[in-house]
Amino acid sequence: MDITLKVNGTERRLAVDVRTTLLDALREHLDLTGTKKGCDLGQCGACTVLMDGQRVLSCFTLAVAAEGTEITTIEGLAGEEDPLHPMQQAFLEQDAYQCGYCTPGQIMAAIACVHEGHANSDDEIREYMSGNLCRCGAYPKIVAAVRQAKPLMERA
Amino acid sequence: MPDGNQAAIGQPALRIDGRAKVTGRARYASDEVVANPAWAFLVTSAIARGRLRGFRLDEARAVPGVLDILTHENVGGEAEKPKPMAGGDTTTTLESDRIWHDGQIIAVVVAESFEAAREAAHRVRPDYEEEAPSASFGSPGAEEEVRKAGEHKDYKVGHADSAFKAAEYKVDQHYGTPTQHHNPIELFTTTCAWNGGKLTIFEPSQFVYGLRGGLAKQIRMEAQDIHVVSRFVGGAFGSRGAATARTAWIAIAARRLGRPVKLVATRDQGFTIVTYRAETRHHIQLGATRDGRLTALRHEGWEVTSRPSQYNVSGTETTARVYACPNILTKVNIVHADRNTPGFMRAPPETPYMFPLEVAMDELAVALRMDPVELRRINDTGTDPATGRRYSSRSLMPCFDQAAERFGWSRRNPVPGSMREGDWLIGWGCATAAYAANIGPAAVRITLEPAGKARVQIAAHDIGTGAYTVIAITAADRLGLRIEDVTVELGDTELPAAGLAAGSSHTAGICNAVAKACAEIRARLAGAATVTNDGPLIGLDPATLTLRDGALHGPGGRSEPLARALARVAPGALELYSENIPKGLPPESIDKAYQGQMSMSRGHSREDVTAYTFGAQFVEVRVHERTREIRVPRAVGAFAAGTIINPLTAHSQYMGGMIWGIGSALHEETEIDPKAARYVNDNIAEYLIPVNADIRSIEVIMVPERDEEVNPLGIKGIGEIGIVGMNAAISNAVFHATGRRIRNLPIRIKDLL
Amino acid sequence: MRPFLYEQPASTPEAIGAAARHVPPHGEGRIQAPAQYLAGGTNLLDLMKIGVSHPPALINIGPLRAEHGAIEADASGLRLGALARMAEAAEHPAVLRDYPAIAQALRLAANQQLRNMASLAGNVLQRTRCNYFRDPSWHACNKREPGTGCAAMEGINRRLAVLGVSDHCIANYPGDLANALAALGAEVDLVAPDGTGRSIAFEDLHRLPGDTPHLETTLRPGELITRFRVPAGPWTRRSLYLKVRDRESFEFALASAAVALDIGGGVVRDARIGLGGLAAKPWRSREAEAVLKGRRLDEAAAGEAAEAAFRTAVTHGDNAFKPELGRRTLVRALLQAAEMEI
Repeated sequence: MDITLKVNGTERRLAVDVRTTLLDALREHLDLTGTKKGCDLGQCGACTVLMDGQRVLSCFTLAVAAEGTEITTIEGLAGEEDPLHPMQQAFLEQDAYQCGYCTPGQIMAAIACVHEGHANSDDEIREYMSGNLCRCGAYPKIVAAVRQAKPLMERA
Repeated sequence: MPDGNQAAIGQPALRIDGRAKVTGRARYASDEVVANPAWAFLVTSAIARGRLRGFRLDEARAVPGVLDILTHENVGGEAEKPKPMAGGDTTTTLESDRIWHDGQIIAVVVAESFEAAREAAHRVRPDYEEEAPSASFGSPGAEEEVRKAGEHKDYKVGHADSAFKAAEYKVDQHYGTPTQHHNPIELFTTTCAWNGGKLTIFEPSQFVYGLRGGLAKQIRMEAQDIHVVSRFVGGAFGSRGAATARTAWIAIAARRLGRPVKLVATRDQGFTIVTYRAETRHHIQLGATRDGRLTALRHEGWEVTSRPSQYNVSGTETTARVYACPNILTKVNIVHADRNTPGFMRAPPETPYMFPLEVAMDELAVALRMDPVELRRINDTGTDPATGRRYSSRSLMPCFDQAAERFGWSRRNPVPGSMREGDWLIGWGCATAAYAANIGPAAVRITLEPAGKARVQIAAHDIGTGAYTVIAITAADRLGLRIEDVTVELGDTELPAAGLAAGSSHTAGICNAVAKACAEIRARLAGAATVTNDGPLIGLDPATLTLRDGALHGPGGRSEPLARALARVAPGALELYSENIPKGLPPESIDKAYQGQMSMSRGHSREDVTAYTFGAQFVEVRVHERTREIRVPRAVGAFAAGTIINPLTAHSQYMGGMIWGIGSALHEETEIDPKAARYVNDNIAEYLIPVNADIRSIEVIMVPERDEEVNPLGIKGIGEIGIVGMNAAISNAVFHATGRRIRNLPIRIKDLL
Repeated sequence: MRPFLYEQPASTPEAIGAAARHVPPHGEGRIQAPAQYLAGGTNLLDLMKIGVSHPPALINIGPLRAEHGAIEADASGLRLGALARMAEAAEHPAVLRDYPAIAQALRLAANQQLRNMASLAGNVLQRTRCNYFRDPSWHACNKREPGTGCAAMEGINRRLAVLGVSDHCIANYPGDLANALAALGAEVDLVAPDGTGRSIAFEDLHRLPGDTPHLETTLRPGELITRFRVPAGPWTRRSLYLKVRDRESFEFALASAAVALDIGGGVVRDARIGLGGLAAKPWRSREAEAVLKGRRLDEAAAGEAAEAAFRTAVTHGDNAFKPELGRRTLVRALLQAAEMEI
């Protein structure tokens, strides 16, 4: 099927199987490999992207059903030479990762967490970031990164 | 120390690969671009024991886009089974019709798309001849044997049995730990591409040369014709150490098709196509005097393995030497069942074996009415009781004292159930952590440019440990450069060989190699600068010269810019290749690294000293008085691991280890159907690992320690010790909260009702 | 996952029309009907990927949210559009204020990404997490393949049901919202393929497994849920949802309780009690409710109610702890609800 996806502000045309998920479309058709596959079954959060500004799991979204929406992936936050998004900068400074594999999903979820108004306390951040597993165990630093980025995002 | 000025080592530094990771531009193996790949999907066995009579493949072949289906019938002779890093023999996959375990790879479907390959794989119909399998301990047909000494030793010091009988105070208990799976968030992926007779493999790996060497034997080709690339690894924890079966079949699939083939195995397949932490059972007998001195320590362990494998972790090698004790006896048994072959998983011996010892110590403290910290102090020792050798350094009690202080241990009321807040019972527990200080050989190539930039090339692995950054720090420190002037290339068999990123040995192995290479560079520059008469350093003793701030410095303020010093020894950039073989390892160990064989100097089997990292871990648990949820609001760990190259990433590793310990104690268990011998919760919704909300305050204290014997840089390794004491500390805290002594992990609501 | 016909209708009549084209003669009650409505996809795509569901057609009703996504509350009660997303309902001011059990059941379910995607109706219709059901390589599963047996009864069943089970199936209903809706006596509005509407009690939406565990609901072929209606009552404000699990978040319930109490003059005038994680379907315990009526809610009364709720419990080894955990969960929830300031 020929579809058009609007990803990071750019319209991209691609031919996919009706079964192709948004996750596989991003990774295998558009070479946007920052969005990660960690389980493909909605259990880890590594594939989190923003769809019309809301965080969703790209593994549970059919590419064909994503037509007409605005998709933002980790690659859409900062170009290669650009300054980092405050959340990316906070993850870097807090060492809020180790292997880095869950990190794009964590960052996308964290940005949404702030936008939703679910980052008002450490407890609330912990709860609302619990859909993103980090096997390396960076959780306390992820909470610190969200805490750091929140006022900067609100100021921007 | 004539080399370097310690400007960078020990200072917290942000990861040099951090920007790549936070922008999504770090390429993990399955992110690497290959042209026009076909897709593989594995078919795995639905029975745990038996044979394959054959397959019905018509339905699968009819799926549009299917290109090939590999089974033992058409490719069985093309590969040999992989050789694990330890334990000898293992099970087969497509080499024969034999089924050894649930989830064994029995076919590989290759198709034009991931979607078609998955559909066709679901339509492959295996015809099984089923036999009754054995799942685990106590299952009919499971075979128990005493583990022969080989890779691991037993210890017999004094007369443990008679000393135990005579002891005034005793603990005599049985303990158990469950099957656990690494579950790194990156799936197990393999991409293979042939170019003539040369094969390129993208696969997450803790040992690219090991993967290359292992695969070469499996598919009978020259190792030099295989190129393995693994630049970023999405977690490993031991699961990516040795070559496993899948790589060979994907390589063969790509060869048959004449086209690159890409495999992203599913999460459930990750439970059976790689290794895992086997379940264990333990019998511990401790004897002690009234004042708490240990008089007898007997530790017998049982471990599950597959039918053909002898794999075992024998953590008695650590439990026998943690405390002073004149009478020690250890023994390990292995139990063969119809299971996949287990392997390394974070602190492989210590996680299951220190749990029973450290719970038993807590039980002994209760019996003696003694503070558990004091019991450890009474039995502290500077001498390894199993061998009589000196510890190169041992800061166990400084760790206990600093952690206890930070935790507020002195405010603990020792009576179980005596502390509470609202509806929550509070328990405080502690335990010792110990992990051998290991080191492996490594080679490195450093290119130093006149502009003050250095490139370090080494086939090391950054599995989240911060290897990129500690290498840059070490090179910057020793070459007198800024960290940002050092670029690092890792994870590629076209780079000089480094060993397995495991056993908490990697930082020691690679940083010592880098430091040695830098020292050789300094020596060449200094040697040339002091004998030629065109510079300010003429006539000085070359040993007194140092590299600092982009210049070569001598005493008395004499110095010259790096570019000038460099120009004297090399026309442009200076490229230097160096090999480092740690003390105690034979000269051929570097060749073994190139051949992909593991060679490691282990802290418990050195000739000169016993070298261990020690730590002390304190945990608070809260148990709801009615519904018994168990939560860990805070934990404090203090560790002494010699030189810390990067305190920032070291903190993350210790913290991550402690969080693993919380998961191990309270969440993680792979459930096995007792009749079918099949894993049941083979997903990460029901194989529970901690989520963000499970983790609250985790405090890490790095106790300063200098150890000049362990290796030249004094690095002991930190990747695993963080998990070691947590199982027992949590169990001990649960006892303190509830009065219930739980000796089998994980500890869950159902155990406390 | 097998290929499927994908349709994206622009209106409800088109959607049910599309479903009608795929309706077989004897599909009643089988969630695994030939055509499936796709809303959030969080359960359906899951089951398709693991090879449990093979619908030949997916009818994407996500775009019909404008029509069936409203959340409204007035004196008569709460109306939840079937396509409202879990996250929207969880944070709706009227739900938070007047139906806290519903808000909490939603917030304690899944994670924010899934709650942003999943529709309320899809959430209510989610299927069991029984691992033997979810892996087609297990031969014996009466729910997946009628007549093949049940591997869970002698297998790993720690998480499975103790209430409403049969000799054919012990799978538990895994959701949260549905237990609150069952407790609060919600009604379900449906539209049939021929366009006619009907309403049923929420309690009648799911079936007990009996000897047909593959039939999970009373939905007729092609029928579409359009709305849930929760009647107002003096108990809804004093309501809560308590979820007990080994992990702090993002885990299905080992046991949960939805309780709503009308307390006056020191006694319970009315009680509504739902249980989750423990039963074959969303569970309302009228037995427990009856015990409490007219009683002062103290430890003893709560305990008796909990006893009554689990009188019919049947266990299978691993899950033997669940009646006790269920009782404790209910007692805790009742005592906590009694102390709520409203």
